[in-house]
Amino acid sequence: MTGENVFQKNYEVLICKELFAGWVEGLRDDFKLIGPVGDGVNAEFREIASLKEANLDYQSTMLPPGKAYLFKPLEEIVLFNAGPGGVAAEEPPIPVQKQVLIGVHACDTHAVFYLDKVFLGAFTDPFYKARRENTFIISLNCKTVTDLCFCHLIGTGPYLKAQSGYDMLLTDMGGEFLVELKSERSKNLFNVKGRPPEAGDWQKKDEMETRLLKSFKKDFKADGLRQVFLSRPGHPVLKETAEERCLSCANCVMVCPTCFCHDVYDETDLSLTRIKRMRRWDACQDYFFAQVHGGNFRSERQARLRQFVFHKLDYEGQFGLKGTVGCGRCIRWCPTGIDLTEIAEEMMK
Amino acid sequence: MNPYLPFKAGITGIRRETGDVRTFRLELKNGLPSGAPGQFNMVGYPGVGEVPISFSLLPSKDSPLFEHTVRAVGRVTDFLAGFGEGDEIFLRGPFGRGWPVNEVKGKHLVLISGGLGLAPVRPVIQMADQLNAKRITLLHGARDPESILFETELKEWRKKGIDVKLTVDEPGEGWRFHAGIITEIIRPLKIEAAETLAFICGPEIMMRFSARELFLKNVPRSNVHVSIERRMRCGTGLCGHCQHGIWFVCKDGPVFSYQELSGYPDALL
Amino acid sequence: MRFFSPGDRKPRVGFFKFSCCTGCGFQLAYFQKSLEDTLKSFDFTFFRLASSSGTPEGPFDLALVEGAVTEPYQIIELKKIRANSAVLYAVGSCAITGGIPAIKAGVPEMEVQNKAYRTKLYGLTSLRPSVLGDYVEIDGSVRGCPPGERDLQEAMVSVLFHRKPEFAGYSVCVECKIKGNICVLVAEGLPCMGPVTNAGCGALCPSYHRACYSCFGLMGQANTAALKGKFRKLGLTEDEIERRFSLFDALETKK
Ligand SMILES: Cc1cc2nc3c(=O)[nH]c(=O)nc-3n(C[C@H](O)[C@H](O)[C@H](O)COP(=O)(O)OP(=O)(O)OC[C@H]3O[C@@H](n4cnc5c(N)ncnc54)[C@H](O)[C@@H]3O)c2cc1C
Ligand code: SF4
Ligand code: SF4
Ligand code: SF4
Ligand code: SF4
Ligand code: FES
Repeated sequence: MTGENVFQKNYEVLICKELFAGWVEGLRDDFKLIGPVGDGVNAEFREIASLKEANLDYQSTMLPPGKAYLFKPLEEIVLFNAGPGGVAAEEPPIPVQKQVLIGVHACDTHAVFYLDKVFLGAFTDPFYKARRENTFIISLNCKTVTDLCFCHLIGTGPYLKAQSGYDMLLTDMGGEFLVELKSERSKNLFNVKGRPPEAGDWQKKDEMETRLLKSFKKDFKADGLRQVFLSRPGHPVLKETAEERCLSCANCVMVCPTCFCHDVYDETDLSLTRIKRMRRWDACQDYFFAQVHGGNFRSERQARLRQFVFHKLDYEGQFGLKGTVGCGRCIRWCPTGIDLTEIAEEMMK
Repeated sequence: MNPYLPFKAGITGIRRETGDVRTFRLELKNGLPSGAPGQFNMVGYPGVGEVPISFSLLPSKDSPLFEHTVRAVGRVTDFLAGFGEGDEIFLRGPFGRGWPVNEVKGKHLVLISGGLGLAPVRPVIQMADQLNAKRITLLHGARDPESILFETELKEWRKKGIDVKLTVDEPGEGWRFHAGIITEIIRPLKIEAAETLAFICGPEIMMRFSARELFLKNVPRSNVHVSIERRMRCGTGLCGHCQHGIWFVCKDGPVFSYQELSGYPDALL
Repeated sequence: MRFFSPGDRKPRVGFFKFSCCTGCGFQLAYFQKSLEDTLKSFDFTFFRLASSSGTPEGPFDLALVEGAVTEPYQIIELKKIRANSAVLYAVGSCAITGGIPAIKAGVPEMEVQNKAYRTKLYGLTSLRPSVLGDYVEIDGSVRGCPPGERDLQEAMVSVLFHRKPEFAGYSVCVECKIKGNICVLVAEGLPCMGPVTNAGCGALCPSYHRACYSCFGLMGQANTAALKGKFRKLGLTEDEIERRFSLFDALETKK
């Protein structure tokens, strides 16, 4: 095998971008390649044939790569067949397609860790699990930040510090990528010879990160929110924002990389022979989300907005992680620009 | 294992409790059922949907049969009401954390239920002999005498040594017990606060007022347990519908101590 | 089994039309995907668009009624349909929100009557447009202009199962995001009505890069004021905003 001596001590290497692109293309035999296509904040993770189609300088996407490709927006979870012999339940096939997600930012990588807590917890979701295992994640440290990013305040970016839970970490060093291998399977798969990084390279990486950290626009204090939220769950800013601006359209939730809520419903064909039990992304912003017979726990718009804000910025006790990864998507894709950090700041005043 | 995959259960008997409430006696078609008091199953039918329904009787050493007591109020429960003996339904479970029956030993157990809330409490009574409680009191409130559940069993429960007290909002002719709201039969109760453990189930507003009566008697918040209701789609902590604060009511509950619930918005409690 | 099984008598369906373009009827009779199964599973005992025979007298297991109420005789007919039907679903925006026929809601009745109803050809009486639910109890609304596949199928299946239906009640944005469309409102500033519009169409317009014009009508608890505010910021005039909101929801907006 090539590269053996390079990786003996540590699994880091600098290689020129063309070589890396060539290696990625070679994965196509076994994997579906999925990478960012398009510019700025409107890029989109899509199936690509080679890295030439991808834009690794993208800033953000509308739908987050982890959620979109691991937890499908619409999916069959049980099938029923009805016939003269009665009705029988059947498991839909478990997804086997291997895929590689190329260029997943730090925040979005952390969001996958959050989804892991949800779907691989006390009850394991077999569809998520299969996709997760079949997905090779190549993360990418950001080169620029947007004015809505706040990962630096949450500890989820802009450079990825996690040492496991994904496969590979890229840093754009100009003409080369610094490639850091983070999983056993990446060590088996990545066989490109390159130059081992030297002290100067690490220093350059640090400097780039420091420079990037200075370019963030957003600043709010995330500490101490617990107390504020506990003592003022009925703060007027929630009511005002909800009534004046919130459309209950659920765009915030749909684009959030950590929102995992889904509805379950049955689709029956009119011959009554085949019933598909489906799940579909659902949102606490929707009026019916918390409705039960005889009542609705969040019939008020402000209660629904509060659920979103609190679940993202507080309620850390649920999984031991913050619900937000600071990607800024919910702010960007909210038609009226509702900003959870502004709401939190107002409450902290 | 696909946690969404339901099992078939056969209906071996149906008891009409009151107008729109039926108790289904069920038997799993494959495998042995299990469950603890306060736990629930997701019960339903393909093409119709699934809803959370508490065990109203658990399978035991003596019998693999179990019961669900269901009020017909909407899409799924109305559909269930149309079933007859010998029909098959689908269910998944058991789910959730039930009543903390291990803490009962040596304590005065106060069971408080309103209306259909007696159903999830019934398995506690079913295992009363094994609880080693110092004393068990059951306080039950219903709309009128006709809507008191499991009426034929009340005598049996009294025989077990359980102190059963009833109240109804609208007493008819010949009602021998209390008339009025549930708090009125909680108030005169003589208890030692620290030695008391309360399990409450009923409409949320009824649970709140019942708990308040107990707090007035200095029962600690951590000793008052309530079973709460939220919309549920999965029962397994995945769909997010049942979230209340940091809790997933389906897997962390539905039974919580008052202590655990306090501080989160969007509840009457 | 609890539902109508193949051996059972097929449920009897009546399809009725009031003031509308008949598009919903066409959707059901000709365009929907499960047409074959629909015809196999149901007995259309009254459906003018499909057959000139059949009686409107009932009894029906299911009455599907399209169109808004704009003439007095329709109220009497509607009440009769209700009395003869176990389940009655309002079909299409006209029957549910007033839809296109309700655009006249903002104009004085006499003016409409003289302009459109009393011509050389007709001598009709104009009535303030209203929806079915104003006169009879309806068991559900199959929204759309014309209805989408999912809700139409749900309507039919619910009758086969003898159960209550569950129609989509969330916003078009949810469907739009599920499709992965880049939002035309946020990314391009098109005046999309998706955030206040009831789902069911599968975000058809945004999928073709156009702004939703709310043909499914407003969803429950729609925050119209907030979206109007957004449209103002996009530079739409009050008149343009009014037109967007009254195209399918004139009864709501011109109260
Ligand atoms: C832990 C738990 C235990 C329960 N135990 C019992 C019991 O033993 N007996 C009994 O009769 N009822 C019980 N319920 C309430 C029962 O689940 C609801 O009455 C039932 O969901 C109503 O569904 P539906 O489709 O008939 O009504 P609809 O009003 O048509 O409801 C439509 C949908 O809303 C949701 N929904 C509505 N009400 C509730 C609700 N209260 N809780 C959760 N989801 C709801 C369901 O997903 C349902 O499919 C329990 C609820 C919970 C949460
Ligand atoms: S995207 Fe904005 S307007 Fe829509 S529900 Fe979320 S916060 Fe409200
Ligand atoms: S914010 Fe709302 S939709 Fe998102 S995970 Fe939390 S409860 Fe679910
Ligand atoms: S809450 Fe908003 S900023 Fe946080 S992860 Fe979700 S979409 Fe991104
Ligand atoms: S394009 Fe329209 S329907 Fe789609 S998300 Fe944006 S506002 Fe909603
Ligand atoms: S019912 Fe789905 S998470 Fe609790």
